[in-house]
Amino acid sequence: MTPPTLVAAASPHLVAIPISTGMATALVALLMLTHIQFAAFQQGGYIILAVTDFIGWKGKDARKDRFSKGLVTVLGATFAFGSTLAIFATLILFLGLWSQFFVELVRIMFWPLIVEAIAFVGEIICLYTLYSQWDKLGRVRPLRVGLELLLFINASIQMLAINVVASYMLTPRPSNSLALNLLNPTEIPLELHRFVGNIAFDGAMIALVGGIRLLLAKGPEGKAYGDWIGHYGLVYAVGFTIAQPLIGWEYAKEIQLHAYASWYSMMLGGLSVAFLFQVFLLGAIFTVGIFYLWRRVRASGFRAPTLAVCAALSFASWLLIATPSSLAWSYEDVVAANANVPIWQGGLIIPWGQMIPFKLVALIVFTGVAIVAVTVYLKHVSKGELRWGDAGRGQAAALITVAIAISLMMALMGYIREHSRAPFLITDKVLINQQQNFNPPSSAGPALDGPAGVGIIMPWDSGP
Amino acid sequence: MSSPSQPPRSALVAKLTRPVARPLAATYRWVDERMGISDLTHQLLYEAVPRRGAWSYSLGSATLIIIVLQIVTGMFLLWTYVPSTTEAWESLNFIEHHDEFAAIVRGMHLWGAYVLLFVIGLHMIRTFVSGSYKKPRELNWIVGVILFLLVLGLGITGAMLPWDQAAYWTATVVTHVVDYIPFFGNWTQEILRGGPQMGPETLTRFFAIHIWLLPALLVPLIGLHLILLRRHGEHGSWVNYEGVESETEGERATRMAEAEYPYPAVPSDPGYAVPMDLDDFFPSQVFKDATVSFVLVLIIFVMAVVVGAPLERAANPAALNYVPTPEWFFLPLDQLLVQFPQAWMIPVGVFVLPGIGTTLLMLVPFLDRSPEREPWRRPEVMVPALFAILFLIFEALLAVNRLFNL
Ligand code: HEM
Repeated sequence: MTPPTLVAAASPHLVAIPISTGMATALVALLMLTHIQFAAFQQGGYIILAVTDFIGWKGKDARKDRFSKGLVTVLGATFAFGSTLAIFATLILFLGLWSQFFVELVRIMFWPLIVEAIAFVGEIICLYTLYSQWDKLGRVRPLRVGLELLLFINASIQMLAINVVASYMLTPRPSNSLALNLLNPTEIPLELHRFVGNIAFDGAMIALVGGIRLLLAKGPEGKAYGDWIGHYGLVYAVGFTIAQPLIGWEYAKEIQLHAYASWYSMMLGGLSVAFLFQVFLLGAIFTVGIFYLWRRVRASGFRAPTLAVCAALSFASWLLIATPSSLAWSYEDVVAANANVPIWQGGLIIPWGQMIPFKLVALIVFTGVAIVAVTVYLKHVSKGELRWGDAGRGQAAALITVAIAISLMMALMGYIREHSRAPFLITDKVLINQQQNFNPPSSAGPALDGPAGVGIIMPWDSGP
Repeated sequence: MSSPSQPPRSALVAKLTRPVARPLAATYRWVDERMGISDLTHQLLYEAVPRRGAWSYSLGSATLIIIVLQIVTGMFLLWTYVPSTTEAWESLNFIEHHDEFAAIVRGMHLWGAYVLLFVIGLHMIRTFVSGSYKKPRELNWIVGVILFLLVLGLGITGAMLPWDQAAYWTATVVTHVVDYIPFFGNWTQEILRGGPQMGPETLTRFFAIHIWLLPALLVPLIGLHLILLRRHGEHGSWVNYEGVESETEGERATRMAEAEYPYPAVPSDPGYAVPMDLDDFFPSQVFKDATVSFVLVLIIFVMAVVVGAPLERAANPAALNYVPTPEWFFLPLDQLLVQFPQAWMIPVGVFVLPGIGTTLLMLVPFLDRSPEREPWRRPEVMVPALFAILFLIFEALLAVNRLFNL
């Protein structure tokens, strides 16, 4: 295959798309960030659907049955929109604007992308069978739950495939071995991070719907349902977010080991500001989330002193240690303030991975406090203390706030990940400014890893 | 024993077997009169067990069967294995290349250990979820935790015996980590190594620990576990107690009065002394236990034949660039260790955190003392446990990732 730049050079009648690199990057970023929100919603939604349908069936719970039916309808609609975005992204933006990158990526990741395409078809079949035959399938409940699980598996395979691609772009292996590139150093951490994150995100979207329904509900029945949906979503949202700091920490460690420049830019360099905002958002999710848990129990007339303490602790650590003003803006600032010495010598550095302490302390406090809060809240729920419909506008606002914070967090993470590689699209291999086919590789840029278009990497190929 | 409902045996078969059957039956009667085998068998087999959720109760007996399998395959291995640093590897290498039967036995011992650890984990999760550790079974839970630790100990000491590269460097790492124990580190290290350095004595010591010290603790403790189990009766799972809260005093009293052996369990939380619906241990539960155990042993056998047990090059203390990878069941601990970048923090990762975890595990029955059995009504233990299990799984996966990309 001839590299696209050569095609452009050799065929003068091919007109380059008249768009600047910055514009192209912004377009791709906007589309991808939106697409990721949809894709995450699908994958996380399928497992929540399967779990809810299963417990609704076993517990003979009409509310959960109603919710599952609503969720499958929403998932059917969002899938249609989200996958259109994905196809648009691939066909127009990637091929049109980032063709070099895309050709190189397909060469290396041909097989994972094929697997993804097959699982995409599987997802369509399962989802639309459920969507159109929901009630009929309800007569054979194990079949319906089984189909939901299959749907989830199909979506998870796609996520796995695309995580392979995304992680490869950050930490590629200098090799032609498919196995090494598939299980590159950040694949599993990213997989876990997204797996957990998608469920939390879905919970947040469900909480959002609950919050809006609570605000708009006319009668007590509608209010009770909105209240329950909000509670149900928020438990997923906060509960699953608890695992994220730890996974994220280990993910960052792999990046530190295998793509130091990216890690430096994220943690200590230019992007560390974005990371501060991220800790701030995390503080918002936990603090507002725990505040909701406390107030929701109170709304049903029960005292919940432990939850109040948890909310206060979370709030305090949010204000004191997780705000940008409490954190060193970047490592350069720490150095400039002569604070890059251990904390016992009056500096800011703690031995744990040579880190600046605030972020770590905040993360530990949030995680611990949130585990206690979710546990205590669920105990109140299990004792049957919560009457659905008791929630007020305050709780509705909290639900909506958590949802917005989680959604922003997802976008921010995407932004950080994509920018941490700059100026590369694939670390050490493909530059961003090599992308447009009218724009030949700059002489300052590195050569592509082997001549582009040499051939697809096959499962039996091995390095280097 | 023949019952009236049984069809009469064909006269021909009876006639043909009589010459053998009669003396056999007479011999059995003779022995039975002196040893009481029938009574014992009856006592062992005829008891009541909870009816619902019974497949999940077969995990305990599957654990038992695999431990027996380990003892048997271990005995066979002792026929060839030589516990010395100069000959251990040679003897296993001989097995791998010249003795197919022993190679399969070796494979079964390894895969048996893997399946055992998996099944014992499931057994623990199942007894945890069903609240089986509650009154009066607290002590049995604690015995169970000790059994689990012993099995882990058997796993790690067994991994050192081949004295190939993996074994040697695992032993080096483990005995090195031991040195971090506060105050007693050096002492323990020397005891395990048989001196300040790794050497011939190290293998002898781990061999002794593996083949007699740990089994000598394990076997009687399993006995105690089973005696306690018999004393209280199988608790089963919460599904067998649905509705106990709405029971009237009278209904409960009737249930207690009609309870079959070994119920009612004493002391007990009110309502939980007898499961609602009982079944016979023999043949119902025995059939399920046998099926599950059979499938697991079959898996072990197939893995032994198809994959077998690896044997790396003979131990070479000079190969300093060799990177030892831990057995899969120690992966979470290995990953945890990496979280502590400074040497002085290592004890936190290797002893303090796992120590706190083990202590909490032992204390579960005393931390969760409510009579409640349904898992979703016990979020106070279920939520932390869920996080703990997720943590272990995540750490293991991340360890695989790290080791693969070294
Ligand atoms: C050598 C290892 C072990 C063996 C051979 C073993 C064997 C058994 C057997 C045969 C049963 C009865 C059947 C069943 O409920 O599954 C049982 C029950 C039980 N085991 Fe284990 N077990 C072992 C380890 C453990 C561990 C590690 C724990 C927990 C930490 C544990 C806790 C219990 C409890 C609480 C019961 C009572 C279950 C009930 O009554 O519902 N065991 N065990």
